[in-house]
Amino acid sequence: MSVLQTPNGFTLDNGGRRIVVDPVTRIEGHMRCEVNVDSDNIIRNAVSTGTMWRGLEVILKGRDPRDAWAFVERICGVCTGCHALTSVRAVEDALGIRIPKNAHLIREIMAKVLQWHDHVVHFYHLHALDWVNPINALKADPQATSALQQAVSPRHAKSSPGYFRDVQLRLKKFVESGQLGIFKNGYWDNPAYKLSPEADLMAVTHYLEALDFQKEIVKVHTILGGKNPHPNYMVGGVPCAINMDGDQAAGAPLNMERLNFIRARLLEAYEFSQNVYIPDVLAIASFYKDWLHGGGLAATNVMDYGDYEKVPYDHSTCQLPGGVILNGNWDEVHPIDPRDPAQVQEFVTHSWYTYGDAKADADKGLHPWDGVTEARFELGPNAKGTRTRIDEVDEAAKYSWIKAPRWRGHAVEVGPLARYILAHAQGVGYVQDQVADALGRFNSLAGTSLTARQALPTTIGRTLARALEAHYCAHMMLEDYDALIANIKAGDRATANVEKWDPATWPKEAKGVGTVAAPRGGLGHWIRIRDGRIENYQCVVPTTWNGSPRDSRGNIGAFEASLLNTPMERPDEPVEILRTLHSFDPCLACSTHVMAPDGAELARVTVR
Amino acid sequence: MARLETFYEVMRRQGITRRSFLKYCSLTAAALGLGPELVPDIVHAMETKPRTPVLWLHGLECTCCSESFIRSAHPLVKDVVLSMISLDYDDTLMASAGHQAEAILEEVMEEYKGNYILAVEGNPPLNEDGMFCIVGGRPFVEQLRMVARDAKAVISWGSCASFGCVQAARPNPTRATPVHEVITDKPIIKVPGCPPIAEVMTGVITYMLTFDRIPELDRQGRPKMFYSQRIHDKCYRRPHFDAGQFVEAFDDEAARKGHCLYKVGCKGPTTYNACSTIRWNEGTSFPIQAGHGCIGCSEDGFWDKGSWYARLTDIHAFGIEANADRIGATAALGVGGAIAAHAAISALKRARHKGDV
Amino acid sequence: MSPAADAHRPPRFLKAVYVYEVPVRLWHWINALSITVLAVTGYFIASPPPGVPGEASANYLMGYIRFAHFAAGYVFAIGFIARLYWAFAGNHHARQLFRFPFWNLGWWRELWTEARWYLFLERKPRLYVGHNPLAQFAMFWCIAVGSVFMIVTGFALYSEGTGRGTWQDTLFGWVIPLFGQSQDVHTWHHLGMWMIILFVMVHVYAAVREDIMSRQSIISTMVSGVRTFKDAEAPADADPEPPPPRITLEDARVPAAERERAG
Repeated sequence: MSVLQTPNGFTLDNGGRRIVVDPVTRIEGHMRCEVNVDSDNIIRNAVSTGTMWRGLEVILKGRDPRDAWAFVERICGVCTGCHALTSVRAVEDALGIRIPKNAHLIREIMAKVLQWHDHVVHFYHLHALDWVNPINALKADPQATSALQQAVSPRHAKSSPGYFRDVQLRLKKFVESGQLGIFKNGYWDNPAYKLSPEADLMAVTHYLEALDFQKEIVKVHTILGGKNPHPNYMVGGVPCAINMDGDQAAGAPLNMERLNFIRARLLEAYEFSQNVYIPDVLAIASFYKDWLHGGGLAATNVMDYGDYEKVPYDHSTCQLPGGVILNGNWDEVHPIDPRDPAQVQEFVTHSWYTYGDAKADADKGLHPWDGVTEARFELGPNAKGTRTRIDEVDEAAKYSWIKAPRWRGHAVEVGPLARYILAHAQGVGYVQDQVADALGRFNSLAGTSLTARQALPTTIGRTLARALEAHYCAHMMLEDYDALIANIKAGDRATANVEKWDPATWPKEAKGVGTVAAPRGGLGHWIRIRDGRIENYQCVVPTTWNGSPRDSRGNIGAFEASLLNTPMERPDEPVEILRTLHSFDPCLACSTHVMAPDGAELARVTVR
Repeated sequence: MARLETFYEVMRRQGITRRSFLKYCSLTAAALGLGPELVPDIVHAMETKPRTPVLWLHGLECTCCSESFIRSAHPLVKDVVLSMISLDYDDTLMASAGHQAEAILEEVMEEYKGNYILAVEGNPPLNEDGMFCIVGGRPFVEQLRMVARDAKAVISWGSCASFGCVQAARPNPTRATPVHEVITDKPIIKVPGCPPIAEVMTGVITYMLTFDRIPELDRQGRPKMFYSQRIHDKCYRRPHFDAGQFVEAFDDEAARKGHCLYKVGCKGPTTYNACSTIRWNEGTSFPIQAGHGCIGCSEDGFWDKGSWYARLTDIHAFGIEANADRIGATAALGVGGAIAAHAAISALKRARHKGDV
Repeated sequence: MSPAADAHRPPRFLKAVYVYEVPVRLWHWINALSITVLAVTGYFIASPPPGVPGEASANYLMGYIRFAHFAAGYVFAIGFIARLYWAFAGNHHARQLFRFPFWNLGWWRELWTEARWYLFLERKPRLYVGHNPLAQFAMFWCIAVGSVFMIVTGFALYSEGTGRGTWQDTLFGWVIPLFGQSQDVHTWHHLGMWMIILFVMVHVYAAVREDIMSRQSIISTMVSGVRTFKDAEAPADADPEPPPPRITLEDARVPAAERERAG
């Protein structure tokens, strides 16, 4: 029982009742969360544990750098492609390969399609059930639902009372069957759900609409990368060669028909995020106007590397600029350099890894290019249960398969919200307009007068920023499409630079870094190449930042920070915990990958 | 336990007309490659069979199988989840979490003993007592064994569950192990691919529900209906292969004409899957059409067979990585040198001992 | 009594022996030809020649290469089966290819002597009517076992094209999961080709060299079937008893192991 003040300004009290949520569902991968609630059921201590490890970077060692994208792409099938993109960027950076402009634009379109898709699927299929009660939708009046739909989004065509009645009927029969499927054992009578039946019905209807449409937008990946999930990438450019009017163009990867197909899908996506996604988030948020919890680190420290360069290889033209904001000072944005060994460092004090000895574990932080990993699974002295049946972890000791990355020692939050705070602070016009417009609509729906600084660093703000970013991506990818057409029209049809394809042309040693604005935040891959093979590979991924355990100095990460001081309606039903954790869109398979500079070290992993 | 409802009842209750229902049945027949004479069978099956509970577990994985599954166009995944199966447990989609989620497993296992399908995405790691993948504070492998106990059948989704996939690639630090090596007493349907094609996944489920039996499997336990041919066998670029017309380097003229990707490492000739027939994402395209060779993602151990861009497999037994040609040519050079030296010495000796013997 | 001991018996004049019967010689040359075709086309299947211009429908280069490979494969396989039959029907030299006298200590000793001869450590090679032990060793592993390996893996790969349910698939399809997957079988089949190429190199060299330097005919024997000897010493594998009148046709002593089995 102790009260603890963390260096980054949070008060932790593990004196109250301990609640364990394992598995945390509707996320990618495996995660566990433990909180302590006080007598008023307010969360006073939070512990998030990554509960899987696959060791991909160990597996990458000694392989052909040109193959790495496919391995790391399999880190995650939800943000599918963003690790692949980061990987080819890292390899190209190491080898000094510049890709053709068409390849750049095609990759940009793919990245933004992924961003859009990931955000939509996250909101509707992984997150919505934290706000929306499908059972309550049965009570809705389809006529009133239609009116609500037309009020929040007059441009959305599917809004007739009959349409909503059909959906409601289907839902009703489904519920009456008694086999609730994915809704089984939900918390449907918990007062934490605040939507009106009509809003619930509208949201459930859009859950199904989004489910239908998300399979359409990914077809852009199918055309450019051959399949989705896990489209194909390539070092030096893109594999989809362009043939507009030459012989056998119909059999080419990209021709007029294929480009038209892409454009049709991009336009549909733009309309969906404009007419369905953003209005839904605002409408739902207006019912939760009093639930402004979950800000955590977002109110103080946020970080991103910056992405979406308007001019290839000119990082100053990023349409979502990077940087670091500390202590909530939006007036000062610190530049970030992923190559600087003093900036990004990872700690293992509370992670199931060791840097060799207790002292190093306690205070050593390593830059990804110099990282060390040796798995060490051990529970602390105050853990409850056994080694293979954990009842409660001991957060004073090692307690997660996630490392703790820090920027100059600071715990930071990453993600769409971080990017939107950074873009807003750095005066990106589109973002500022979007935020102003969204807040105006929110305030008018909710009858509040919240400012960006009040509304954004919250669970709702995180969810809203994601929606706005999805739409910004839809806007940008249409611009990318036009730029691609213009570039082809100007006579450039190159899609790959294969000058340095042959490893014989590479230097004996090289190192590089690639960064991407991944759906869940800033993603970086660091690679070292020697004699044409991967010597060392490390990914520091968004959920590693957000889901990190405590570091050597006791700073808590974004997940843990965001849960603090949140009241729970019913401690046994973790609706509020899920709601805030889901607002980060956790990706555990991503976060729990760490590298080993020497694969042999891992032979020490206990085998019983 | 209340009487289970049939597909037809559920669909009718959900406002689907009999006419649409019959149309759905004939589309299902077409999707499964069945003749119109079998439509009445499907209609009958749908009218009389209850919805089968599916418990979908996740081990070490990347969730690409679930992501692929939700992209199914025919049937739409909402129809699968609302009207065909009862997806009672799936970490990725289910509303509940923690204890409430775990409780579902026991409930379904008891209520539907021997009548539910276990679908596994990912695989269990066995090193570190299985604690490289923890669910509910316990090793995933325990959950897997427990749920498998009373399952009617097991579906191994994707290459992870079927073969091990990326986490089992050399040196497999967590000792990730495919499902069939852990569960040995149940029928297992392997649906490999990283991920499998969405319509293949729903096709397998639809087949099992419609015909109430496991699809015919090949020697490796894969449904013959989707995995009996190589991608190469039905590739639209196959004429270029037979003609001897190849892409020599990415973005060359042949690449722009859609010639065969064999020389840039396409694994289509050794990969069993339906990519070139059913194609991806509602038949939109597939990797070869998009200009990149097949990487063989539905084959056992495809991660450890050398570069995506080389036809010849890396052979690790020789210390440094090498392929068959490099090993063969090196050996031939060595043997050739030995022969030359031997011949020279022989000639010398012969000259010296002329008249001997 | 071991054959090695026989080697030091008093010299006996032995002019010419009929060793390789017509089917054996015919098989040898057909086999040589099919291996040549298989190796060349096989190499091109793995590493195709530069692309050809024109419409795909007007060209069939890879098709022809693969056809030649499969046709030669059939010749190779059928030839092997015929050769196997002849091992039973033909003279005892015809059996030597398929025998590996693992338990015969004397045979190993002779193999050692033969190896020393090739390493220039023996002054004089032994005389053999059939294959010397070293040659027999190489023949057994590279040609008898090697051919089976190449035929089995080759037909397994061929069955992928003929499709599930064909006789090729029924007989050989099981090989693919045994190796892991198709690509593994390709790799091993490819390595098998290199092993046979190495064998051919050594085989041709040794035959030419033996023809020049040893005391018996080699190359001409595979043409005419008759082995001639350049001196009067008894071959190491000759019959220890005084030769019967038909010595010039069917001479050599039945190897010890075979005689034991027969008796």
